[in-house]
Amino acid sequence: MTSRLSDAVRRLLTDVLARYRDCPWVVDLLRDQLARLAEPPRIAVAGGRSSGKSTLVNAILGEEIGPVELTDGRPVFVWYEDAPVPRITTDAPRGARRELAASRAARGLRVDAPGSADEVVDVVVGGRRRLLRHMTVVDTPAVPAAGEESRAAVAERILRVADVVLYLTPDVRGSDLGFLRHAHEGMVAAAAPTNLLLVLSRADEAGGGRPDALLSARQAARHQGRHPRIAPLCLGVVAISGLVALAGRVLGEAEFGALAALAAMPRADLEPYLLSADRFVSTSASLPVDEVARRRLLARLGLVGVRLAMTLIRVAGCDSRAKLAAELVRRSGFVELREAIGRYVVDRAETVRARSALLAVERVLRAEPRPGSGELFARLEQIVVGAHEFREIRLLAALHSARVRFDAELAREARRLLGGDGTEIIARLGVEREARRDELWARAMAALTRWRGLSDDPVLDTAQRRAARVVVRSCEGILAELAGHYYL
Amino acid sequence: MGTLGAVAAPTWLDVVDETTRLCQTYGRRDLVERLRQQRSQLLDPRLWVVVLGEPKQGKSLLINALINAPVCSVGAEPAEIPLVVRYATRPTAELVRTPSPGRHGERGPEERTVVPMDQVASCLRATPRRRAAHESLRVEVSVPRALLASGVVLVDTPSVDRVDGAGSRAGGLPRGDVVLLVSDATRELSITELNLLLQLRQRYPFVIIVLTKIDIVPDWRVVAERNRQQLATAGIAASLIPVSSVLRLHAARTHDARINEESGFPQLIAGLARFRADKAGSLAAVTAGLTARTVIDQLAAPLRAELADQSDDASGATARLYQAQEAVDELRRTTARWQNTLNDEISDLLADIEYDLRERTRQILRVVDHAFDQADPLSAWPVVQDWLKTNLAAAAAANDRWLVQRCAWIARRVAEHFRDYGYDALPDGVAAPGADRAADIPMIEQPAVERSTPLQKLMTGLRGSYGGVLMVGLATSLAGMPLINPISLGVGALFGGKSIRDESRSLLKQRQAVAKAAVQRYVDDFFMRVNKERRDAVRRAQRILRDHFLAVTEDLQARIVQSFRSAKQAADADAAQRSHRQRHIAQEMRRLAAVYEQAQELLAPRAAEVSSRVAIRR
Repeated sequence: MTSRLSDAVRRLLTDVLARYRDCPWVVDLLRDQLARLAEPPRIAVAGGRSSGKSTLVNAILGEEIGPVELTDGRPVFVWYEDAPVPRITTDAPRGARRELAASRAARGLRVDAPGSADEVVDVVVGGRRRLLRHMTVVDTPAVPAAGEESRAAVAERILRVADVVLYLTPDVRGSDLGFLRHAHEGMVAAAAPTNLLLVLSRADEAGGGRPDALLSARQAARHQGRHPRIAPLCLGVVAISGLVALAGRVLGEAEFGALAALAAMPRADLEPYLLSADRFVSTSASLPVDEVARRRLLARLGLVGVRLAMTLIRVAGCDSRAKLAAELVRRSGFVELREAIGRYVVDRAETVRARSALLAVERVLRAEPRPGSGELFARLEQIVVGAHEFREIRLLAALHSARVRFDAELAREARRLLGGDGTEIIARLGVEREARRDELWARAMAALTRWRGLSDDPVLDTAQRRAARVVVRSCEGILAELAGHYYL
Repeated sequence: MGTLGAVAAPTWLDVVDETTRLCQTYGRRDLVERLRQQRSQLLDPRLWVVVLGEPKQGKSLLINALINAPVCSVGAEPAEIPLVVRYATRPTAELVRTPSPGRHGERGPEERTVVPMDQVASCLRATPRRRAAHESLRVEVSVPRALLASGVVLVDTPSVDRVDGAGSRAGGLPRGDVVLLVSDATRELSITELNLLLQLRQRYPFVIIVLTKIDIVPDWRVVAERNRQQLATAGIAASLIPVSSVLRLHAARTHDARINEESGFPQLIAGLARFRADKAGSLAAVTAGLTARTVIDQLAAPLRAELADQSDDASGATARLYQAQEAVDELRRTTARWQNTLNDEISDLLADIEYDLRERTRQILRVVDHAFDQADPLSAWPVVQDWLKTNLAAAAAANDRWLVQRCAWIARRVAEHFRDYGYDALPDGVAAPGADRAADIPMIEQPAVERSTPLQKLMTGLRGSYGGVLMVGLATSLAGMPLINPISLGVGALFGGKSIRDESRSLLKQRQAVAKAAVQRYVDDFFMRVNKERRDAVRRAQRILRDHFLAVTEDLQARIVQSFRSAKQAADADAAQRSHRQRHIAQEMRRLAAVYEQAQELLAPRAAEVSSRVAIRR
C-alpha cells in the first residue's frame, strides 16, 4: 500500500528533475530528496531557548552526548546518525565530510567548526545505536522568540530538514502556535498535517514543581491535545520531563545507591532537605550521602526527580536500579513519546519521507514556474489528494487524543485497521503470522462490512461517520492488496 | 519620610494639576482622564501592587504566598480579567463591571455582583464571554490579612502572552504604584519580558522583577546574575528579588521562620512596606513626575512636529510668489520674442512677394517680346491681348495664394510663442485669401500704329519708281530711245515695288516696337499696382497680427500681474501668520518646558534614592 505512494513520489521526483535539469539548486535539492527516500526518517527536536531540546535528544538516544555546541557560539544543527564508527564530522564543500575535533565540556561537547560567522553549521555525530537504524535524530538551534528577525529562517530550515518535528515548549504560548501554523503553509503541508508532535517539555517543573507535577502535566497535555486551537496543528500533545527520562535511561548503580540511602532515612528527617534545591545540597545537612553526590543527583534528576525517586523507592517498591530506572522512564512520559514516535514515524517511515519529497517538489514548482510545471503541479496535487496514508495518520492521531471517540472495542479495532499496531496486513487484521490467505480475506471482508455499516449509521455523529469511512478505505486497501494488485 | 515628604507633597500635586490644566487647554480629554486617575491613585494612601508576567511563571502562587491565602487559583486555565486583592475584615468576592468613560469623560456607576469565594476562579476565566465592549471587568477579593491591612492592594493580571509582544497593551495596563514582573528561575528573561520592561519604564517608576521557583532550580543564582546583566545591558533600572512561593507557603503551614527567610519573601514584603511608607512622599512625587513628563511629551510631540514641518517646508505661499515672479519675467521675454519674429517675417515676406511678382511678370514680358519679334501687332494683337490678360491674372492669383499662405504661416509662428499660455488662437482675416484680382486688370489698349493706306503706297511707289525711270530713261535716251520707254518703265516699276516693300517692312518694325513698348508699359503698370496691393495686404496682415498679439500680451500681463500680486499678498500674510504661530508654539513650548522642568525636579533626586532602598537589602 505504502509502496504505491512512494513509487508515485519517486516517479514525480524523477520527472521534475528531468524538467529542471538546468537549474542547479533544484537538481541538488531533488537528488537529495531522492536519496532521502532510502534513508531512515529524520526527527528534529525543535523549540525555543532552554525548552529542553538537548536533554530530550539525550533521553531519546539513551546516552548523555549533547548538547553539542560550537566554540564560537554559532547556531548548529546536530545530526545523530547511524555510523559504523563513532565520529563527529561536518559537511565540507563538494560533498566531502571532514572530521572535527571535539572536547567534553561540563555538559555536552564543544566542537570547533570552520565557516563564516553567519552560516548555520551541520555537525554529524555518528555512532552505532540500534535506534538510529530506524531514524535520524536532529537537535536544532533554538527557535528565536517572536519578533526576532532570524525566526522565520530558522523555522523554515527546521521544517525543511526534518521529516517530523517534535516541537518542545514548557507552556503553549502564542509564539509556539505561530511556529505550528508556519509549518502548515503550502498545499502539501496543509493537506497532510502529519509532521508535528507537540511536546510539553520540562514537565517536572510544571506548576512550580508540585508533587503531582508529572501527572498534572500529562493531564494538561491531554487537554491541549483536544483543544480546538492546537489539535488541528499537530498529531498529538505529549508531556514529558526530559530530565527524569534521561535519568531513568542512564541511571547508574552509584546513583541508585545514593537515592536508596536517602530513601532509607526516616521521612521526617529527610523532608526538610527536599524543600528546595538549596537545602538539598546545603553543606550543613546531616545526610547519609555527601554533598558532591547530592549535587550530582540534583543535576541528574532535578529536585522533582529526586522527590519522585524517594516516593518510588519507598512506596512503589522500586528496590533495584533497573526497577527504579524503568519506573522513572514510565513516569517521565517518555514511553508515550516513544510510542508516538513509533506510531507516526518509524511505522510510517515511507509516508513520512514521501511527504517531505512532496513538499520539496511543491517548493520547486512554486519558486520556479516553467512551461510544463502546471502539469507537474497537477500530478503533485493528485498524489497528495489521493494519498490515503495521510488520512490514516490523521485519524489515528484523532483517535489517540480522543478527538474522535468510539466504544473501546471499536476504537481498538479502528486503530488496528488503520495500522496503529503495525502497517503490515497481518498486524492490521490482528492475526498470527501463519494465517492462511482465505482467513485473512474473510477477516478483512468482515471488517469492511462492519465499518461500512458504521459509516452510515445514523446514531453516530458526523466525525465518527467520517472516521468510519476512512477505516472502510483502509479495509478496501487491505483487500486490494490481498487480491494481489494495488487499489485506487 | 520626614520633612522632605511634607515639603514635596504639595509640589507633586501642583505639577499634576498644572499638567492637567495644560491638557485641558489642549483639549486632550484622554490625558486629563489619565491624570485624574493618576491623581486619585496617588492620593490613595494604599499601595497598589500590579503583578505582571508571562503565563505559567507563578504569578497567582506568588500572590497566594504573599498574603498566605489561596485567593488565586493556581495552575488552572489562565485568567482573562484582573483580580484585585485587598483588605477587609471578612472575606468577600465581587465581580465589578466598570463602564468605559463616555465621550465627555463621565463614567457610569460601577456594577458590583457578589461572587461566592469558591467560584472566583471560574469567574476569572468565564466572564470575558459575558463582557460587553464598552466596559472593563475585574474581580475584587477582600481578605483579612496583615499585609493587606497595612495598606497594600495586590492586582493579579492576565498573562502577557502575545505574539506581537506587549506593545499594544501599555494603554491597557492596570493602574498601580509598583509593578512586580514575575519571571521564573527555570530560564533567563525572555525578549518579550525585556520589551515589556521597556514599556513599563515609561509608566511605572518602580518595577521589581520577582524571580520565582528558586526552590526547584539548583542554579537559580546563575540565572539571577544573568538577568541582572541583561537588565544592565538594556539600561533598565529594576531590582530583582528571588523568591520561592512554595517555601513561603510551607513556612506558613509549619510556622518555620527559617524557611520563610529562605523563601525570599521577607525581603519582598519589606520592599513593599517601604514603598507603602513612602507612598505619599517620594513614590508619589516620582510617579507624578514621570506621568507629567510622559504627558507633556505627548502634548509637545505635535507642536514639535509642527515646528519641524514649518522650518523645512518652503510653504505654499512663498512658492507661489516665486512662481508668479517667474511668470512675469517669462512674459516679458515672450513679448520681445514674438515681436522680433513678426517684424523679421514680415520684411522677409515683403521682399519675397515683390521678387516673386517681378519674376512672374518678367516671364510674361519675355514671352510677349518674343511673340512680337515675329508677329505683326496688327493681326496678332487680340490674341496677345487675351493671352496677356489671362497670364497676368494667373500670376497675380499665384502670388496672392502664396502671400496668403505665408501670412498664415507667419501668424502661426508668432502664435507659437503663446502656446504655453494657451493663447495660440489665430486672429481672423490674416489668412483670408485676397480678392480675385483678375477682374481688376484693365484691358490693354491697342497702341496707335502706322498703317499704310493705298494712296501712301502709291505715293511711295511713284517716288521709288521715279528715280528708276529717270535713270534708265536717261541711259536709254543715249541709245536713242525716248526717256519713257518700256525698259525705263519696267525698271521704274521694279524700283517702285521695292520701295513699297521697304516702306512696309519699316512700318512693321515700327509697329512691333510700339506694341512691345506698350506691353512693357502695361506690364510695368500692372506690376506697380499689384505690388502696391500686395504690400498693403502684408502691412494689413502685420497690423492685424500685431494688434491681436499685443492685446493677448496685455491680457496675459494683466492676469499674471494679478496672480503675482495675490501671491505676494498671500506670502506676506502667510509669513505673518507663521511667525505668529511660531511665537505661539515657542511660548507654548516654554510653558510645557516649565512644567517639565518641575516634573524633572520631582524625579531627579528621588528615583535613585527609593530604588536603592529596595536594592540594598538584596
